[in-house]
Amino acid sequence: MTDEKNSGLSRRTYLGAAGVTGAAALAGCGGNGGGESSSSGSSSSSSSSGGSMNTLELLHGWTSGDGGAAVQSMIEGFKQEYPDVELNVKSIGGGGNTSLDTRINTRLGNGNPPSSFVAWPGKHLLQFTDADLLGDIEESVWSKNGMKDAYLPGPQDAAKPAGNYVCVPTNIHRMNNLFYNESVIDEAGVDVASIENPSDLADAIAKVDSNTDAVGMAHSTQAPWTTIQLWAAVFLGQSGWDAFQAFMNGNGDKAKIADAFKTMNKYSEHYNKDASTVGWKEANNLLINGKAGFFHNGDWAAGMYSGNDNFEYKKDWNHVPFPGTESFYSLNMDSWVYPKDNPSPEASQKWLSYVGTKDAQVRFNTKKGSIPPRSDVPMDEFSEFQTNQYSDFQDSEAQPPSVAHGLATRPEVLGNLSTAINQNYSEHTDASANATAQAFVDAFNN
Amino acid sequence: MREKLVTFVRTHLRRRRARTDGGEVVTERSSGFVSDDFVSSLPYWLPPFVVMGLAVYGAIAWNFMLSLTDFQQFGNPDYSNLDLGMYAQAFGDPVFQGALQNTFALLVAFTLCCLVAGLLVAILVDQQIRYENTLRTIYLLPMALSFVVTAQFWLWMYNQQNGLVNMFLGVFGLGPYEWIGDPALVLGAVVFALIWQFSGYAMVVYLAGLRAIPTEQFEAARVDGATTLRMYWRVIVPQLKGATISASVVLMVFALKAFDFLYSLSGSYYPPKGSDILATMMVRQAFNVGHRAYAAAIGIMLFLLALVIIAPYLTYQYRRGEL
Repeated sequence: MTDEKNSGLSRRTYLGAAGVTGAAALAGCGGNGGGESSSSGSSSSSSSSGGSMNTLELLHGWTSGDGGAAVQSMIEGFKQEYPDVELNVKSIGGGGNTSLDTRINTRLGNGNPPSSFVAWPGKHLLQFTDADLLGDIEESVWSKNGMKDAYLPGPQDAAKPAGNYVCVPTNIHRMNNLFYNESVIDEAGVDVASIENPSDLADAIAKVDSNTDAVGMAHSTQAPWTTIQLWAAVFLGQSGWDAFQAFMNGNGDKAKIADAFKTMNKYSEHYNKDASTVGWKEANNLLINGKAGFFHNGDWAAGMYSGNDNFEYKKDWNHVPFPGTESFYSLNMDSWVYPKDNPSPEASQKWLSYVGTKDAQVRFNTKKGSIPPRSDVPMDEFSEFQTNQYSDFQDSEAQPPSVAHGLATRPEVLGNLSTAINQNYSEHTDASANATAQAFVDAFNN
Repeated sequence: MREKLVTFVRTHLRRRRARTDGGEVVTERSSGFVSDDFVSSLPYWLPPFVVMGLAVYGAIAWNFMLSLTDFQQFGNPDYSNLDLGMYAQAFGDPVFQGALQNTFALLVAFTLCCLVAGLLVAILVDQQIRYENTLRTIYLLPMALSFVVTAQFWLWMYNQQNGLVNMFLGVFGLGPYEWIGDPALVLGAVVFALIWQFSGYAMVVYLAGLRAIPTEQFEAARVDGATTLRMYWRVIVPQLKGATISASVVLMVFALKAFDFLYSLSGSYYPPKGSDILATMMVRQAFNVGHRAYAAAIGIMLFLLALVIIAPYLTYQYRRGEL
């Protein structure tokens, strides 16, 4: 009898346990489903389960190297300013923000945004503002610390892609530098000052190749973005700012686009032979080691030079604006973005206000090798190269945004441009130049 | 799950039937819809059943629904207007066609070559040689490495100027080839790298199969005067059918997952031209470009491809009564 009773009891317990488990599983799934279908409704509940209310959760992509040191230094400064804010900083690496963007995409899509995250400003943010996922920080952040007066129009416009302020740019990288190795160029007998346009550069590159052991131009074609940014520099140098703006607005001239690719075809004959298997850092090493004459990339390339004690500015390496783009400062920026439905509104606003201060921008940019977007930052702590870049920036006629980094186009268009490079421009022929140009024009029709 | 249901039905039926020997004592309490076995086994299979059902099959069903919408980026998908537009778009998209072709080529070439390489190595290792364990470990080792590591490693190997592959071929006066940059070569290069990584797995499976074959059969074949080649071809290899099928299913699934390798190869969602597969295209569409519905449709087609591959294996198992 006792046996009967026991088994009956335990059976009931089992049943209960199973029911509870099943209900919990169902509830969990239901919660997720709700998050997907009603973004505003469930977001508050999911964010509160993510951690305590006042923890400042920051997502960025600088895992190591100069970027890692830069963001670390800025966080130290924030801690001194606001010691009571609890921090939860997550760095998500991966080439060109790929993994970071994916994570941000997923979290915002699920209605579970972090306190603030790093993203390229400008049209890249339209994907979020279209869905009303970013909050307005004009009152809470931009009206403090004299930010509106201190930021130049270019960066300030990028901070309000849809009309209102949603992010704070922290650093500016220049995209139209042409770096060269002094001794290689001397040996080749090339006069850099006489290079006036992108096709002159092709001749200079050829000359380096034939007169020295070095390759004419170091380049990486491992991923599409390096090719897109070189194309943008050539296109701006050949066809000018108006044509560039027309392209950004989806009215690019196919013949001019193709011409830029044809000029690049001439460069490509003098690339390092292993361009398809090396990344930009390996390509840049060729220049450092005297195995390449020229190199085009963002000015983060200079960060690698300054990290090398035996490679001095103006003695071993130097730069000129990319031929034909002397009056422009093509820029790429990073910014800290403020998501709506913020898990920690107050702490996030503190963070964003701090990011906009002179102190934060000196801390960050001296380490990152970029220049601050504020125009009133004292430059004594910066290197000579950065100081020159800063004055070039302030004297520039226009600041064309980077195509390869999504400042100039929507992500969808950038995706099409990358696919076009990948599909059509793996051979460097006139036919492929024309095909790629056609695909570039079509990239906007969607 | 299935077994539980069967036992449940059987016990249920047995209770109702009168038995010639008078039957056993049936307790009153357990009559009714829910039997003892069913209830007491519930906690063991119900939680995994619910979790699997919702997380796997539910997600697949949801993904399919999503692929019928026109959902893009953020916001809420509109389920009121369902059609197969995304599938039509895919078949008109040259990028998709290329990716489908590459996926298929990768799948077939990788699986076949891997099996052949694995079988040969297994037969060699099975010759009662010295250091057999060491060799076996060496062959299996690449599989323990992450794709991220092997992709970088092979990037260096395939380097046009100073890669080992081109240096080796240079000894014979061949090359240098641009293994990764040339769209005609890159898929072959990727397949070769994957074979290097996974033939060790095929070897282990075959080795187990070979060990299961009694020595008498080798001896009998020898006594009957068969050459080594003939002995393996006619007597041994046909008995490895089971090993072949199970190894090839695992390998094919690996081939579909080659995403990691291609991602690490270029450091972006855009693998070198000529090596784009459905998996990379799907992630690109979903997260780079925000075409969620299109990505869902690609995902469903990838899933169907996987089903088509698994189907022969399932039928085989079913026929043998193991399912």
